[in-house]
Amino acid sequence: MRNRFFLWILFLSGAVLFVFTLIAAYREIAPEWKRYQAQYKEQIIKLAKDDATKKKAKELVPAVQQIYLGTLNRIDRCMSCHMGVENPMMANAKLPLKQHSGDYLKNHPPDKFGCTVCHYGQGRATNKKEAHAATRDTHWDFPTIPLKYIQSSCTQCHDYEMLSAKGYDNIAKGAKLFMEKGCRGCHKLNGIGGALGKKLDVVGSQPIAYFPMRFVEGDRNTYNWHKQHFTDPRALVPESEMKINVKPEETDLLATYVLSLRAGEMPKDYRRIKGTQTVEKPDEGEALYRMFCIACHTTGKDSYFDEIFNRTIPAIMKPAFLKTADEKYIKKVVEDGRAGTQMTSWKATAGGLTGVEINNLIAYITKDRPSAKPERFDFAGFKTDLKRGEELYNIRCALCHGKKGQGGEGFLGLNLRNPVVQGADPEFLAITVRDGRSETSMPPFGKKGVGFTDRDIADVVSYVKTMSKKK
Amino acid sequence: MNELKQSGIDVFKHNIKSLLGSFAGSFLRSGKPTSDKSRAAAMFNNFFLHVQGVKTHINTLRPTYTLGLGLISFFLLIITVISGVLLMVYYSPSIEHGYTSVKDINYVVFAGKLIRNVHKWAGEGMIIFVLLHMARVFYTSSYKQGREFNWVVGIVLLILTFGINLSGYMLPWDQLSYWALVIVANIIQSPKEITDSLGITKFFDVGVFSKELFLGGLTAGKESLTRVYLLHIMLLPIFLFIFLGVHFWRIRKDGGLTKPDVFEPKPIDAGLAALPEKRGGIFPTNKTYGLMELAHGRTPVVDRDVENTVLSWPNLLIAEAALFVLCLAGVIAYSFFIDAPLKELANPMIPENPAKAPWYFLGLQELLSYSAFMGGVGLPGLALLGLALIPYLDKEPYHVGIWFSNKQGKRIALESLVVSTIVIIGLLAFVINFGWFRNWWPNVPQMLITLINPGNIWVGFMIVWSLYVIKRTGSTRMGAIALFTMFLISFLIYTYVGTELRGPNWDFFWSKSQWPIH
Repeated sequence: MRNRFFLWILFLSGAVLFVFTLIAAYREIAPEWKRYQAQYKEQIIKLAKDDATKKKAKELVPAVQQIYLGTLNRIDRCMSCHMGVENPMMANAKLPLKQHSGDYLKNHPPDKFGCTVCHYGQGRATNKKEAHAATRDTHWDFPTIPLKYIQSSCTQCHDYEMLSAKGYDNIAKGAKLFMEKGCRGCHKLNGIGGALGKKLDVVGSQPIAYFPMRFVEGDRNTYNWHKQHFTDPRALVPESEMKINVKPEETDLLATYVLSLRAGEMPKDYRRIKGTQTVEKPDEGEALYRMFCIACHTTGKDSYFDEIFNRTIPAIMKPAFLKTADEKYIKKVVEDGRAGTQMTSWKATAGGLTGVEINNLIAYITKDRPSAKPERFDFAGFKTDLKRGEELYNIRCALCHGKKGQGGEGFLGLNLRNPVVQGADPEFLAITVRDGRSETSMPPFGKKGVGFTDRDIADVVSYVKTMSKKK
Repeated sequence: MNELKQSGIDVFKHNIKSLLGSFAGSFLRSGKPTSDKSRAAAMFNNFFLHVQGVKTHINTLRPTYTLGLGLISFFLLIITVISGVLLMVYYSPSIEHGYTSVKDINYVVFAGKLIRNVHKWAGEGMIIFVLLHMARVFYTSSYKQGREFNWVVGIVLLILTFGINLSGYMLPWDQLSYWALVIVANIIQSPKEITDSLGITKFFDVGVFSKELFLGGLTAGKESLTRVYLLHIMLLPIFLFIFLGVHFWRIRKDGGLTKPDVFEPKPIDAGLAALPEKRGGIFPTNKTYGLMELAHGRTPVVDRDVENTVLSWPNLLIAEAALFVLCLAGVIAYSFFIDAPLKELANPMIPENPAKAPWYFLGLQELLSYSAFMGGVGLPGLALLGLALIPYLDKEPYHVGIWFSNKQGKRIALESLVVSTIVIIGLLAFVINFGWFRNWWPNVPQMLITLINPGNIWVGFMIVWSLYVIKRTGSTRMGAIALFTMFLISFLIYTYVGTELRGPNWDFFWSKSQWPIH
């Protein structure tokens, strides 16, 4: 019986082999795109008005339609299904056979541009799932981009002015929002901007793995991530400190703008750039304030306690602040930042602002400075006693500024150990202690307030100036 | 005189008519195999068939004895070679075009995706079936009586199978390939752990030297892909086929597969075609000797009778054909439903977390997480050495050709299975819950961890337990059964843990669904 056993195995596995070979062969002979091409042929024959077109349509042989784009380093096979993109007869057809909308293809012939250079998606794929690549199991980082963000592709070759003139102004609007919402206060672009957030230079072409996709609703791709991140950053990245102050309809514009920030440059013969294609740095004070400061300092008129930073953000344009803070002090803060706080250093080697720009910015900030100067303190005239200063500090100041002057996070007062305070003119510090900072938690400690004598103040200030050496 | 009258044209016509028959006759040399003699001739006159005996023992044809495992491994190899050559037509081994050429194979090459799947799954199937074949050979004591060296050849073939699979894993140049390459390069570099501890790295850095030799640089790049490609399509296959030839040739010289000393045909065996006639056939009942008589030494065939053998044509050939079609059908059916993975293009900036080697190395990667040197070089080297030495340390010449030797053998195998499962799971549970030296004393010298880690403890336990079994039973064969069973179980459990239960940062998770989603 043994040979019969083997013969049965031979027969049965032969049958299985035959069936699967047949199905596999069928799958190869009749792929998805051939169905669409057959439909296309049928519709063309039906719609043909003259015999020549009809004859031509009848001669259509199903084949993979492929555009090889050497300089763009890609192969697009999209037209294997989207047969009718260039055919005006297919204007009213259904997808995927429909003609391309508008007259874009007149100036962007597919054999020069292909499809994925604007629309993304996996050009090499020959089935819908992997070509559109909407789901993560296709392992393709750039699925076809939703049409509401499609203008992010235009800026690869065109400037904002030309696009806006033609009515494609999403990208220019997005760029304007980017300039006015203070994004660069934390994010660097072209080397200019704060250091708190991520660099944005190539954020539009970063792969999915760079973004925490866990809480994204809908398809997990970068387009949805950016849109939802502009709506509520902390919904996607719980530990995010990003400040956001945009209307719901502005999120799409901002997403379009950041998606246009791509790595690599289009080849020269594709580019048509005459005007602006990137956000420049303004040199005028108010614009500078909007671009770099407004996200945290808002109007600059009121100080407020920030829940996310867990500290008070000072009202830097308030007359009461400007009365005590002189230009030299503000300039030092702007240039060097405040170590230990979110305030970035803005000098040319850090945030990227030139001296002229910083001066313009300070001129704008200090435009409401009251003419009345504070009363002189004359710190140099005092012979100070450090020990007494320490005692006074521990009694009156440590509660808000911390025993070691660490202040900042979790304290009402600011950090006294940071270089700006340590390097500040003692005269200025003494005046601040004496007169306080109105409408902040810092009360006047002089005779009009807590009741320190000038000598007390001088002792405390001299002690504070030694704090950075204290362990 | 009739023939004389035949014209040349008649002869030509006759030749054309009998073309098929005469071609078949010339191919088989002795005409259609209708008699025992011509069947025998069909076997030994054929280049491909003569590596097999003219007659085959009934035991060899029993599916329950061999389970066909060796043949399946060989047939899978044939399938990978054919599908591999087809893939080579389109694959381009460069980091610029490697990935896209694999994409094109998937999308536009006719049946390309199926062929790639077949190549992948037949190759990984080889690993499973080579291991199972090794287990069959071990448990039937088929490494004895002149077959000792062939067992060693088998171990070499096992290593080559792993090597070919691994090198193939790296060719698509996707994220899986790249990070597997990085892990393997780190394993190759792991002797540095020892040289660092001994303080001799500055004289000769053998770890980094080997890594550079493998990668063609300190990091994975285009030279690495070239080297891996060379290994995959040329060096390793050449060695594989050379050793495979030796493996088969020695089986033939050893008189075919092993069989029990005492063998009784069962009624079911009567179904085999053309049982040679005992009397009156062309074969005498005793084996005849030709030049073999002059040769020195002794092969296992000498002094054996030819009873219980049947003609290989057609009995053996039917079985082989059935198995081949079974393999082909199995691979194609599996490939039809499950696609070979292809992830994003390799990106050195995005580490996979967890970065895992291919599944067949994840057992080692688990050991690697204890000590890089021990998991990557020390323990696998020791395991292979131990496997290779089995026939020389257990020479008991009885019970050959019987599964598990005897009742005691079955009991020892079962006992080792239970003991090893408990001990390994215990060790794993301990490490997962309490960590190891580095977690307790962060400044402990690396040498101490290299010497004392859960992997070493497990291997030490295997050795001690096997010695204990030898002492208890007084039989080296029983000790070997215990050792081999524990080796198989640990391969199985560690591979499972590494594949299924280890997540990002090599942390423990009960299932993949609990992994923190990125």
